[in-house]
Amino acid sequence: MSVQHMISIPFILGGLFFFIAATVGLLRFPDFFCRLHATGKGDTMAVLLSLVGLSIYEGFSLTSLKIIFIAVFMFLAQPTSTHAISRAALRCGLQPWTREKG
Amino acid sequence: MDNFFLLLGMALFTLVLLCLYRGVFGPGVLNRMAGICAIGTKTLVILLLMGFIYNRVEMFIDISMVYAFLNFVGTITAAKYLEIKGEA
Amino acid sequence: MTRVTDDIIIRAVARILIPFIQLYALYVIMHGHHSPGGGFQGGVIMGASFILYLLTHGLEEAKTRMSEIRAGVFSSFGLLVYSGIGLLCLILGSNYLDYGKLSTVLKVIPAQARSLGILGVEIGVGIAVMAVMFSIFFDISTGGILPEDEEDLGARDG
Repeated sequence: MSVQHMISIPFILGGLFFFIAATVGLLRFPDFFCRLHATGKGDTMAVLLSLVGLSIYEGFSLTSLKIIFIAVFMFLAQPTSTHAISRAALRCGLQPWTREKG
Repeated sequence: MDNFFLLLGMALFTLVLLCLYRGVFGPGVLNRMAGICAIGTKTLVILLLMGFIYNRVEMFIDISMVYAFLNFVGTITAAKYLEIKGEA
Repeated sequence: MTRVTDDIIIRAVARILIPFIQLYALYVIMHGHHSPGGGFQGGVIMGASFILYLLTHGLEEAKTRMSEIRAGVFSSFGLLVYSGIGLLCLILGSNYLDYGKLSTVLKVIPAQARSLGILGVEIGVGIAVMAVMFSIFFDISTGGILPEDEEDLGARDG
């Protein structure tokens, strides 16, 4: 196992941690906006970390360049799609959850 | 290293199943959409891991990229549809 | 579905991402030989980029880039490229879409002529699929009624 692989493992495990955190948030949070809050940020960070780790594992080549391109694309696209869904929900008249209402 | 990727893929697969709960039972269309969107990002990473396991990364990376594009376009389309139509 | 979205974030991000998606679609068409993809898949990605443009920038602006007439012309042109290459092979004295004989026209060895022939066919398929994808979405989202027609109908009813 080379140094390159040793560096890539913490990145990928960090990505897995954020994936788990996002999924727990998606399952456990009380309402739609809270769930989107968890997946929107958690999944973006997780994809970013996992793809950077995989590109380090791959080494310098066209493939790793494409992996970095996917990471940049997801970094732009994931928050935008989250924004679009939450905006649609707000336009539909979904009320955000508050503690008082229960 | 292959075993590490295999275990990682199995962990992500379990997470996809958990997200599928939100996709199937989540109250309302919007919760289902959030679940499906979360599944899409996990699938992207699983595809890349499959490429590393089979030693065909240059092939799987293209599929993964197309998946990312179409996931984005699909989510924007569904969001705009719901925004105009109102929640069903 | 055909109105302009009044959200500047979605519009700005779509404007940044669409050129890259189209470039990637061209890459998928060109690399159909030795990676997954080819004419159909590249055409679908290209069509998806136009659909994203129509969704985010509205019907009026999308019609300046890709109108219904242009979609029809492109789909026919793609089919013409595909069947034209096939018929050229037939005229040169081999089977339909048997690219080996193209070597006499292109002045290269038969193996390379086969590669170029497949590339030409895939470009044709890609153009046709792109135009048909866009045209299907256009028809479904407008319901076959364009805004100017709607005004006409309203005037007639009133």
